[in-house]
Amino acid sequence: MIMQDFLTLVLEPFREVFAGFKRFAPNMLAMLTILIGGLVFARIVRALLRKALTALSFDAWSDRMGFTVMMRKGDLWTKPAEAVVRVVFWFLVIFTIMIGLSALKVHAVNTLVAQFFLYLPRVLSAVLILVIGYVAAGFLSRTVLIALVNNGYHYAKVLAEAVRLLLIVLILAMALEQLQVAPNIVVAAFSIIFGGIVIALAIAFGAGGIEAARRIIEKGAAEKSEGKDDIQHL
Amino acid sequence: MTKIVERQEIRTILDRVGSADIVVGIPSFNNARTIGHVVRAVQAGLAKYFPGHKAVLVNSDGGSRDGTMDVVRSTRIEDQAAILVHHRIDPVPVIATPYEGIPGKGSAFRAVFEISDALNAKACAVVDSDLRSITPEWVELLLKPVLREEADFVAPLYHRHKFDGTITNSIVYPLTRALYGRRVRQPIGGDFGFSGKLARFYLAKDVWGTDVARFGIDIWMTTTAVANGFTVSQSFLGAKIHDTKDPGADLSAMLYQVVNATFGLMETYPEVWKKAQGSEPVRTYGFQYAVGLEHVNVNVERMLGIFREGLRNLREIWIAVLGQGDFGEVEALGNTGDEAFHFPRGLWSRIIYDYALAYHQRRLPAEHLIKSLTPLYLGRTASFVLEMRDADQSGAEEEIERLCEEFEKNKEYLLNNWK
Repeated sequence: MIMQDFLTLVLEPFREVFAGFKRFAPNMLAMLTILIGGLVFARIVRALLRKALTALSFDAWSDRMGFTVMMRKGDLWTKPAEAVVRVVFWFLVIFTIMIGLSALKVHAVNTLVAQFFLYLPRVLSAVLILVIGYVAAGFLSRTVLIALVNNGYHYAKVLAEAVRLLLIVLILAMALEQLQVAPNIVVAAFSIIFGGIVIALAIAFGAGGIEAARRIIEKGAAEKSEGKDDIQHL
Repeated sequence: MTKIVERQEIRTILDRVGSADIVVGIPSFNNARTIGHVVRAVQAGLAKYFPGHKAVLVNSDGGSRDGTMDVVRSTRIEDQAAILVHHRIDPVPVIATPYEGIPGKGSAFRAVFEISDALNAKACAVVDSDLRSITPEWVELLLKPVLREEADFVAPLYHRHKFDGTITNSIVYPLTRALYGRRVRQPIGGDFGFSGKLARFYLAKDVWGTDVARFGIDIWMTTTAVANGFTVSQSFLGAKIHDTKDPGADLSAMLYQVVNATFGLMETYPEVWKKAQGSEPVRTYGFQYAVGLEHVNVNVERMLGIFREGLRNLREIWIAVLGQGDFGEVEALGNTGDEAFHFPRGLWSRIIYDYALAYHQRRLPAEHLIKSLTPLYLGRTASFVLEMRDADQSGAEEEIERLCEEFEKNKEYLLNNWK
């Protein structure tokens, strides 16, 4: 009797653990199945995406858009297509892990997974803002550069770079605001930087450019009175 | 897109007229000051040279607010004897109407093509509404080769100052001559004659919602006629004097319009221009004579200043388009003084082909690409002006001929790289 009680005391924890394991095991199995399936899926997507981006000459397009230069400046030395493939692959892996963890049906984990999925749209819109904004900043900067050069302005490149810089600052602030990363600090920092750049430009061209402005006006007046261009290009 | 011939008021006039041998079109937009002279010249030309032909005059207007269409409707030849016409002249029916579609000369021409098609015209001509130098003889020279069935398309041939028309002289003429193998000297002249058959061909093309309708119609008409096997000729019209375009008009915008249209047509007809080798002259009508021309001031210093600014600020774009080799040659030019500045013909032809290739490969947005050509164009123009300052018209024309030969010689470079 005492022996039986002793055995019961020894075996009971094992039974409880085993029962708990029996309840938990299907969830674990589901998680592992989801993880394995997800990894396989991610590898298939990686292979297909690599082929698709090669067929679309994505690397050449990235060179033209300036994304390659941006990556090199950020010390990223892989090809743009490979970078995109890796980002998508790891995104799918993380996505799979989150879904797998939710299969465990553990409350704390479920909360974490829910927060991840709630944050995901903000990450996607921030990435979109960065990509579209970077392309737009490059386009507008180049428009300004070519227009100023064709009108003979000496400081065309400086002005074009100033336009690009202002737009990049704006885009970064917008992306950080989307990600809700210290939003008050970001807004304040953006205001200070943006306002500072504008004031600096105003001072540079206002005070520092007085001589240059005088030369431009005198040159323009001289061109009007002599050396007028009558040529008809068309 | 609505057809102009479907409008009730136009339909009424067309039904009354029935058919016509000749249609002359004049596109306009706020040209009340100048269009009267053009209309009288056309009326006189029709009366003198085509008295037995039924003609209609079409003014295709872009929404003028200065009474342009009223001027057209009310203009008559007052003194027939002065223009040496002694037979009875029936008034030429006039259709003055706003055109349909995107604002631009192309849409205006489309209206002329539609009316020509509706009237089953044998021959058509279009002339600009601000011409000061148009004479009745222009009408004969643009229409007679078509009516005699010797030509489907008649381009103008003007006598211009050696420094005028530099976009034509340094880009459009050498390029289209090398591409399509026909020596149409002024492919974007703007005053053309063409057959009714060619007008119907133009009308059938689906271009009226594109840049052709806005500003590319001249080069489009010439290239379409050449590339599709129509008989092309040109007529000497003398001097072309018209209202000076707004001096503030942006050169790079003009360059973009013309070069974009020319490069765009290369995308449409690659199988035609790839096959063409060398070039042949086109039949030229008209008695050629020397014309006194006003002196043209050219600010070479400003042109070279913009070229050097381009070298300083557009370096990355030019390297991407031209490659290191040709850019190196351009860079060397930047160190040359004004008086010794010389932009080689071979380099210029390769630059234009490089730009055509970059356009084809979409390396940059088209507007950025072509506008970045402006400083290079000004450098080449400045070089031409410096070299030809003491030359006469024939000397300048010989230099342009040498440039065209360079374009033809370097065409292989374009063919080898066009994929």
